[in-house]
Amino acid sequence: MELVSLSTVVAWLTYSAFLSLMALGITLLYRTTKVANFAHASFVTIGAYVTYTLTVAFSSNPYVGVPVAFILVGIISLLLFYAVLEPLRRRNASTVLLMIATLAIDVMLTGFINIHADYLTNAYRVPSRNILLSGSDFRYIGQPGILFVALGTLAICAAAIYLLLNFTTLGIALRASMENPQLAEAIGINVSMMLAISWFIGGGLAGIAGALIPLWTEVNPSIGTILLASMFCASIVGGLEQIYGAVLGGLVLGLVDVIGTTVLASIIGPWVAFYEPVIPLLVLSAILIFAPRGLAGINLRRGKQ
Amino acid sequence: MVLFIVDLLALFAVYLVINIGLNIQQGITGIPNFGILFAVAGGAYITAGLSTRLTLALLGIQTNLNPVSDNVSVLQLVNPILRSQPIIAISLFILFLMIGGAAGAAMGLISSAPAIRLREDYLAITLLAFGEILNIVGQGYTPLIGGPPGVNLPDVLAWAGEYRFYAGSFVLLLVAIAIFAVADYIIKTPFGRTLKAIRDNETVARALGKSITQYRTVSILIGSTLCGIAGSLWVIYSGAITPTLARFDWTFLPWLMILLGGMGSNRGTFVGTLIFVTLDKLIIYYKYTFVGILPFDIIWLNYLLLGLIAILILIYRPEGIVRETQIKQRPSPESKKFSQG
Repeated sequence: MELVSLSTVVAWLTYSAFLSLMALGITLLYRTTKVANFAHASFVTIGAYVTYTLTVAFSSNPYVGVPVAFILVGIISLLLFYAVLEPLRRRNASTVLLMIATLAIDVMLTGFINIHADYLTNAYRVPSRNILLSGSDFRYIGQPGILFVALGTLAICAAAIYLLLNFTTLGIALRASMENPQLAEAIGINVSMMLAISWFIGGGLAGIAGALIPLWTEVNPSIGTILLASMFCASIVGGLEQIYGAVLGGLVLGLVDVIGTTVLASIIGPWVAFYEPVIPLLVLSAILIFAPRGLAGINLRRGKQ
Repeated sequence: MVLFIVDLLALFAVYLVINIGLNIQQGITGIPNFGILFAVAGGAYITAGLSTRLTLALLGIQTNLNPVSDNVSVLQLVNPILRSQPIIAISLFILFLMIGGAAGAAMGLISSAPAIRLREDYLAITLLAFGEILNIVGQGYTPLIGGPPGVNLPDVLAWAGEYRFYAGSFVLLLVAIAIFAVADYIIKTPFGRTLKAIRDNETVARALGKSITQYRTVSILIGSTLCGIAGSLWVIYSGAITPTLARFDWTFLPWLMILLGGMGSNRGTFVGTLIFVTLDKLIIYYKYTFVGILPFDIIWLNYLLLGLIAILILIYRPEGIVRETQIKQRPSPESKKFSQG
C-alpha cells in the first residue's frame, strides 16, 4: 500500500507554493503597518479574475495575467492605503479599528468582484463562477505546468524581496521604517511613502498568487475568503515577525494539509477528506498554544521563545 | 408595510441580542471577537439539530421516521399538536433558547482558550478563522442539520394561529428587551466596572487583585451565550436552517452596528442596531425596484455601500453615535463633605 504517491507530492508543492506566496504578502503588510490585512482575501480573488477576464476578452494565455495582476492589485492596495489606512494611522487608531477597516475594505471589494463577475456573464456570455483554466495549461515531464510556475514564481518573489530588503538603499529605508518608524522619520526617511511602497508590493504579491489560481483550482468570487484561514495560518505558523517565515509556514502547512489528509483518509476513511478545511485551524491553534509567536519566533539557540 | 415593520422588528431583536453579546466582549472588556459567527452558528445549528428530536421525545410520539432525513413528514406529525397545546409549545420555545445559550457558551469556552493567551491581532485572526468551522461540520455531518439542504424546525410559535407572524416578532422583541435590561444592569455592577477597568488598564486591574484571565473568560462566556441565544431565536423565527450562515451577516454586520452605535455603550448598541437593521431592510425592500435597470445583482451594491459606511465611520466618527458615558454614581455623604471642603 502506497500512502504517499507522486500526485500527492505534486499537490503538496503546488498548494504550498500558493500558500507561501499569499502569506508573504500578509507578513510583509503586517511587518509594516502592524495590521492583519483581511482584505488579502479579495486581493487574491481580484488577481484570479484578472487572469480570467484577460483570457475571456483577449483570449490570451492565462500566464499573461500574472504581471497585469501584480500591477493592478498593487495599485488597488496602494490607493486603499492612502485612502483608508494612512488617515487611520495618522490618528493613532487602535489595531482593532485598523482590522475592522481591512474587513470593511474586503466587503467592499467583494461587492466589486461580484459585480464584475455578473458583468462578465452579461457582456461576454461566459460563465463567471466555478472557473477552471487548467485545461489550457502546458505539461512538463508529465506534470502540470502550474507546479513549476508556482514554485518558480515563489522563488523569484522571495529572492527579489530578499535582494530588495538587503542590498538596496530603498530596502534599508523600508526595513528602518518597519523596525522603528519614529527613528526612521527622524533621520529623514519618508515613512508614509515607505509604507505605501510595502502596500504596493504586498498587494501585488497577492495579485500574482491570485492570477495563478485559475490554473490550479476552481475560482469563485469567494475563493480568497475560502483560502483566507489557510493563508493567515501559513503566515502565523512561520511567524508574523519574520518575512521569510511565510515561505516556511506555507511549506509546513501545505505538507500537513495535503499529506495529512491523504494519510488520514486512507487510515480512517474517505469521509475525513471532507473536513480538510479544519486542518489549518487545528495546526494554527496547536502552534499558537505551544509557540505563541510562530515557528520562526522560536529561538533555538537560547532554548526559549 | 405592516409586514415589513414586523419582519424588521424580529431581525432587530436577533441582532440586538448578538450585538449586546459582542459589545460585552469588544466594547466593555476589549476582546476583539471576530468570530462571533462561531457562537451564533453553534446556537442555531445545535438548536435546529435537537429541536425535532426533543419535541418528539417530549410529546411522547413513537415513530420510525428519522427526525432529520424525514424531517418534513415528522413535522406534519408534530406541528398540529403544538398548535393546539400552547403551554407545551411555549415550554419548548424556552427550552430551545436554553439549548442555544448552552451551545453558545460551549463555543465561547472553546474560543476562550486562545483568547486568554494571545495578543489581540493573533487572537482576531484565530477567532475569524474559527468562525467557519461549524459550517464545514454542518455540511459534512448530516445527522446535525441534514447537510447542505438543511432542516426545518417544529413551529413552537404555531399556537398564535393566523397571528403567528406577529406573535413571533413580539416574542423575539420581548426576549431581546429583557436581555438588554439585564446587560444594562450588569455593566453598572462592580463586575461590569472591573471588565471596563481591565479594558482600560490591565496592569492597574491586576494590581488591584483582579484575575484578568478569569474576568476575560467570563466576559467571553456571557457574550457567546447571548450570541447562541440569538442564533436559536433566528432559527425559531425563520423555521428552517441550512449550514450557510455567512461571516458577512453574522460577524461583519454586528461589528458595523456596534461601531456605528458607539462601542462600550449599551444604548449606542441599541441605536446602532436599530438604524442599521432599518437601513439594511430598506435596501432589500427597494431592491426589486432596481432589478432589470442594473446589469448585476443589487445585493452587491449592498456590500459596497455597507463597506463604505464602515470606512467612513472609522475615519470620521470612530467613537460612534452614542459616546460611552461614565457610570453615574450617587455621591456618598463623605465625598460630598470632601468636595465642599
